[in-house]
Amino acid sequence: MNKLILTTVALMFTTMVAFAQESFPSIKLKSTSGKTIDIAELAANSKDTMVVLSFWATWCIPCINELEIINDVFDEKQAIKPFKFYGVSVDDSRTAQRVKPFIKGKGWVFEVLMDINSELKRSLNITDVPHVIIIKDNKIVYRHTGYIAGEEDNLFEAIKNL
Amino acid sequence: MKHPSKYFIAACLMLIGFCQNGKAQSINNYIKGHFNGSYENYSQTYMQDDKIGAFMPQDKIGSNSFLKLDYNFSKFSAGIQFESYLPSILGFFPIPTTNQSKIVNKYFKYTDNKFSVQVGDFYEQFGSGLIFRAFENRQIGINNAHEGFDIHVEPTDFLKLKVIYGRPRKLFEYANTVSRGVDAEININSLLKLKEQDNGLNILLGGSYVSKYQEYTGAIDNFPATVNAYAGRLNISTNDVSISAEYIDKGKDPNLLNNLSFEKGKAFQLDAAYTKNNFGATVTYRGIYNMNFISERDVEFGSLAPVNYVPALTKQHDYLTSNIYVYAAQGKGESGLQTDLFYTFKSGTALGGKYGTKLSFNGSLFGALKDSNNIFGLGEKQEKYYRDINMEIKKKLSKKMEITIGLQQIFYNSSVIQAVSNEDVTAYVIAVGGLYKFAPKKSIRFKAEHLSTKNDQGNWASALAELSLSSPFAFFASDLFNYGKTKNHYYNVGASVTKNATRFSLGFGKQRAGLFCVGGVCRFVPAAYGFTATLTTSFAN
Repeated sequence: MNKLILTTVALMFTTMVAFAQESFPSIKLKSTSGKTIDIAELAANSKDTMVVLSFWATWCIPCINELEIINDVFDEKQAIKPFKFYGVSVDDSRTAQRVKPFIKGKGWVFEVLMDINSELKRSLNITDVPHVIIIKDNKIVYRHTGYIAGEEDNLFEAIKNL
Repeated sequence: MKHPSKYFIAACLMLIGFCQNGKAQSINNYIKGHFNGSYENYSQTYMQDDKIGAFMPQDKIGSNSFLKLDYNFSKFSAGIQFESYLPSILGFFPIPTTNQSKIVNKYFKYTDNKFSVQVGDFYEQFGSGLIFRAFENRQIGINNAHEGFDIHVEPTDFLKLKVIYGRPRKLFEYANTVSRGVDAEININSLLKLKEQDNGLNILLGGSYVSKYQEYTGAIDNFPATVNAYAGRLNISTNDVSISAEYIDKGKDPNLLNNLSFEKGKAFQLDAAYTKNNFGATVTYRGIYNMNFISERDVEFGSLAPVNYVPALTKQHDYLTSNIYVYAAQGKGESGLQTDLFYTFKSGTALGGKYGTKLSFNGSLFGALKDSNNIFGLGEKQEKYYRDINMEIKKKLSKKMEITIGLQQIFYNSSVIQAVSNEDVTAYVIAVGGLYKFAPKKSIRFKAEHLSTKNDQGNWASALAELSLSSPFAFFASDLFNYGKTKNHYYNVGASVTKNATRFSLGFGKQRAGLFCVGGVCRFVPAAYGFTATLTTSFAN
């Protein structure tokens, strides 16, 4: 078993060297406003304006605490340095129907994408929510899991400095 | 050493988990595709505590590990998932399992603009999942990834097709069945070449067909080895309003969960939502009959290789006391409603104050079907299974302080939900929580709850505090106390450290036995007393 694992991992690493271009998986998610967003395209166009993806769910209280604070200072932070921001909801069909009323009721200003069977979450190897990533120039340049009060300062600092 | 290999594997996995940041950096210079992975370990030690019913199993430690590696280059991606249970934590799998370490998933995928094909183990969902859902939930111990192929095609602007064929995972092997299916979704706007509407009108029409085959060698005549299911759905949405409906018809599917019933299954779900200026509302109705759709007919647990997904349409609470009485959807038959309202009183208004006030209301009611198999309507003399009425007010008082107040009333039919003969429970919960930031990046979060009931084990109280002194450290302490009948304390203390995408937490305390539900799927968690440790990390080039 150990040999098999090591061989497989080694094979994957070897395969990587053979290729010559970076890219993200082409995963298309619907936003709550009905638009379809392709993550590969989003990442490919992140050279000048970075893309922030914040994975959350309506049942995740730390996620909501973080997004509420981000929403409160959204315009102010955009004025310092513009960035694209998407909340990525991993609510499945138990709670997905709550997402749009939830964000509208809270008055959130940013767009939310629906990752209803966790395709993007799985593809980017996100284990738990909340989880924030910043993509710049087709690369993940920042990621953070979990949320405790004050963590948003680190995110905004990263946005400012990247 | 009884199992030398297991310690070696665990050590390898831990090493990969801890070293990944540096490794990813060093290989970054020559890897040109996109590589990413994750590692997760959950370990628990067990000590005896007769009072809460915690027993010491033969293995005093349970440890679940998941290592996932994915590589993406241009239109190609590939990956594996390795899992190790040394052995699994108690209650994780519905049936006892021995130590296992195995590559459980492997896939290769090609994605083009209008076409994708995945070969190997795949996850997929048709519609709301009531007819078909292959998914993973590590907290609950479900993974019914199918091994086979999954094809997506968009032959025209208005049509999306999905075709699947595969056998589902069952624990560490595959179930002895095959699922095959087709899902089509038509965008009516594109079909009719409608111009983009100001009101955002969008109409989607969908249909699914799923067929499951399991060989039958028994003596019953006309026993259906193949079970066919059909679904139709319609979604109409504008900027402010959306209505969606789905109907599922499932053929005769005699299995252990429905007591070998030869009756057909069916389900209907209707969702309506309205949003406008800081206000959002949603109402859902669902009626189901004989909808336990499982791969193997002789399996006693719905979490072992299910074909579909029937979540409880009730709110998932994060209160310790509210989670004592949680609902589990009754696949044999139920109907009910759920509604949510969200509203924000804007800052500067009388009720909003300086920082605004957020209000949410949720109500759900589920019970037996009106007639034996009528999935439409609630019925006048419906046997009630579960009712939850709750509301929450969240108010920021100053830049440093916010407060949350929650109220809840629960009705819980123990004999139906837990399948044990017990009295019904009516309970009331009040919860008060708050956050106080006493210095930059230093804060304390607290919560106090009380559940009062004259039934079952009587009253409960709980308190929780989380202290974050400065990133990356956080500490927590909580106690859930039954002062009604058992006088049991379920205390937990612990700390966590987080850096980038890596988080480690260590806790010590007692875990209450009960239904543990995530995302609508429940498992029974036995009482436990001891240490718990969690390590999660994600990495990428």
